[in-house]
Amino acid sequence: MSATTLSVPVYASELAARPGVMDVEHDMLATLRPMGRAGRLWIASLLAICVMAFVAWLYQIANGLRVTDMRNYVSWGAYMTNFVFFIGISHAGTLISAILRVTDAGWRRPITRMAEAITVIALLVGASMVVIDMGRPDRVLNLIFHGRFQSPILWDLVSITTYITGSVLYLYVAMIPDMPILAQAARAAGRSPRLVRLYEALSLGFRETPEHRRRLARALGAMAVIIIPVAVSVHTVVSWIFGMTIRPGWHSTIFGPYFVIGAIFSGTAAIITAMALFRRAYHLERYLRAEHFHKLAKILLTLSLLYAYFTLSEYLTAWYGGVAADSRLLHLLAGNTSFGMAFWLWAAFGLFVPIALLLFPTRRSLASIVAASVLINIGMWVKRYLIIVPTLQTTYLPASAAGVTPHYLPSVVELTITAGAFAAFLLLFTLFSRFFPILSIWETAEDEAEVGVRKSSPVQAHYGRALAALAVTLMAGALTSFVPVRAARAQPPVHAGASAPVGSTNLRIAIRRSNEQGQDMLVGTITAQGRPVAGVTVAFSVNRAFGNMTLGTDQTLSDGSAAIPFPQGLPGNAAGQLRIHATIQAPAEVAGLSVEAMIPGGAPLHAVTGLEPRALWSTRTPLALVVTIGGLLLCVWSTFAFVAGQLVAMSHIQPEE
Amino acid sequence: MRVFRMQDGADTAPYWLPRPCFHCDDPPCARVCPVGATFKRDDGIVLIDNERCIGCRFCMAACPYSVRTFNWSTPNDPAAATVRGYSPEWGYPRRVGTTEKCDFCPDMAREGKLPHCSSACPMGAIWFGDENEDAVTNSHGETLRLSKLLRDRAAYRQLEELGTKPRVYYLPPDNRHYPGPGEAATTPGNQTSAVVQR
Repeated sequence: MSATTLSVPVYASELAARPGVMDVEHDMLATLRPMGRAGRLWIASLLAICVMAFVAWLYQIANGLRVTDMRNYVSWGAYMTNFVFFIGISHAGTLISAILRVTDAGWRRPITRMAEAITVIALLVGASMVVIDMGRPDRVLNLIFHGRFQSPILWDLVSITTYITGSVLYLYVAMIPDMPILAQAARAAGRSPRLVRLYEALSLGFRETPEHRRRLARALGAMAVIIIPVAVSVHTVVSWIFGMTIRPGWHSTIFGPYFVIGAIFSGTAAIITAMALFRRAYHLERYLRAEHFHKLAKILLTLSLLYAYFTLSEYLTAWYGGVAADSRLLHLLAGNTSFGMAFWLWAAFGLFVPIALLLFPTRRSLASIVAASVLINIGMWVKRYLIIVPTLQTTYLPASAAGVTPHYLPSVVELTITAGAFAAFLLLFTLFSRFFPILSIWETAEDEAEVGVRKSSPVQAHYGRALAALAVTLMAGALTSFVPVRAARAQPPVHAGASAPVGSTNLRIAIRRSNEQGQDMLVGTITAQGRPVAGVTVAFSVNRAFGNMTLGTDQTLSDGSAAIPFPQGLPGNAAGQLRIHATIQAPAEVAGLSVEAMIPGGAPLHAVTGLEPRALWSTRTPLALVVTIGGLLLCVWSTFAFVAGQLVAMSHIQPEE
Repeated sequence: MRVFRMQDGADTAPYWLPRPCFHCDDPPCARVCPVGATFKRDDGIVLIDNERCIGCRFCMAACPYSVRTFNWSTPNDPAAATVRGYSPEWGYPRRVGTTEKCDFCPDMAREGKLPHCSSACPMGAIWFGDENEDAVTNSHGETLRLSKLLRDRAAYRQLEELGTKPRVYYLPPDNRHYPGPGEAATTPGNQTSAVVQR
């Protein structure tokens, strides 16, 4: 052993003291050894697909989204499907690792690392899909500079960012005890000193001391608990991108839980698939035993039944209720259409066949479990596609009535980028496994009793307080409501008048408002050199923004006055004045002569400002929303800070001489 | 503006439905916009700032009337339309990767002119005005009191039940003054009144 630092011999002696560790270590590091030809070919082909996808994306940026098959009706397609799919896959890490860690299921140990890595990688790939889907990826920072928290996209941005941070932290914390082993193995294998230094730096000086163990247990316990609500929130808000719109098939109250179950469902299937691949590629049969597959198969069966239940619940209520828009959607989704064919194929091969494969314990085999998982993975991509596209084709105002037939089938560019997403996922996963052990060495080598002690750390009490704070903020948000305010308009009318001479003639037309025998009248008086003129037809109108509105017509009497009822409640200007026109219509020689006058008596117009300033559509975010989101974030990020604090404290533990 | 040939039931009369943006008072599009690129002004008009739009198309998914369109490729603007520079009030120059829609021509309203859809309608079927003035005007230069028109002609709004509070009213065919779709030379037959609050 080429020991060059002080810490290594100390650590090596500790390793030697624990029986079986060396064996485990040897097997676990299998993925890190140089690759064979098949491995290099695998990486090269994945890389090639990624490069092709990148070129396709550049082509899309240069030519606009026209290179996709998305159009004005079906404005989301394969990219959004990928987004939902990969975010769903990312839930593998939460379920297997966090839930099993919290419930102290011992059999999880060889699986946790893989699950946590899937989470991080799937999140990165999924999040990138949104940027690829954007018409203006160059303006992605507008989400930060001009972000509106009323938009579910901002909820997604915040919760996915939090989830990525949390899952990276979680993956890393659980990997710390493996880092000294890695450093040692890398040095022994003659890998580059830079890599060795990286492993050593990442180990934060971890050694097998009670103090290190205590700090690690605290950090890991806190992360395992906090990551669960974060993961649930992520897929809930992903569903809300659809659920918060008022479209048939999307505006559903069960969409949050439906998506969460779907995510854990596809995530569990993904981890079984990944386990099967790694087990075969690296001969890890000793650790990824049939027992693990069977236990996961039970979980997968439960989830597939749950998903079937949710699916039935979602579509049966829509079908039975028979609202026109829902019926049209269901006809498109499950009727005699191409979507219908895909839907029933999914129901058969993505749901019922896997359920049948998993249902009977005696008939379960490794092959059937893996086959069910692969079918579920393919099926869940199709299901997400079927959630997105048919609803976009089902419009309230039927597109067919406008002579448009909405249609969508992913274009070559979309398919290439989709292939690239899957290739990137596999590539990142492979690369991860080249640098870090894909099975947790320390956890796999750990005996059960040790874990029991670790779980009863005070970390969970700390989280309990955080949960309480979270609940309080949620309730505060729910209690706050918005009260729309409208300005009142009514104002008592004022009697007054005005007159004006008419052009080059010696006629004068005076307009006034007057009360004649208890009636509110608009009166026009026509005089020529001071004498009233009878028998003239006068039309009254009021000026409006885009034309003059006729109020009425009358003929002058012997006193020269023509009168019509005063228009009641007609809005005027800010001072309550109406711009009234009196136009002579007959006799013909003076027809067309017109005067205008500002007559009080209109309802005054109030400038309406700050209309419902806290409404959901307002540019300003309602305070309750800020408080709710801020409170939730504070809870989660303070837990992250607590974990980081534990890590810092761990790195400062003095070696005991 | 798209014109729909509507028929609500198998035995009910078909009718034309010209569909502008409804400039809802509770606009689902403006609710979901993540960057405030689409917004509602105090005068009631819903506009899009294509210099801020990120092209996520959430507004298109949210609009129950499917009013919004997207610049899937670089738009071909007439040179004359771009000389005065950009404003959300006229939307030119248009930009690839951003959303657009009917905007009620607020730049025309500033000059006291009717929007193009209204002034171009040969039947005078599309009325436009300022709700604060309680008046609407059509291409024939007729101006009517809005509240009376809506009351007398039993005006209704599209998909009222969705709660979007649209600002466009439709007047049901009145004794079929005009031929319906497929009955004679086709001209939009039912009168539409588009109303904007300022």
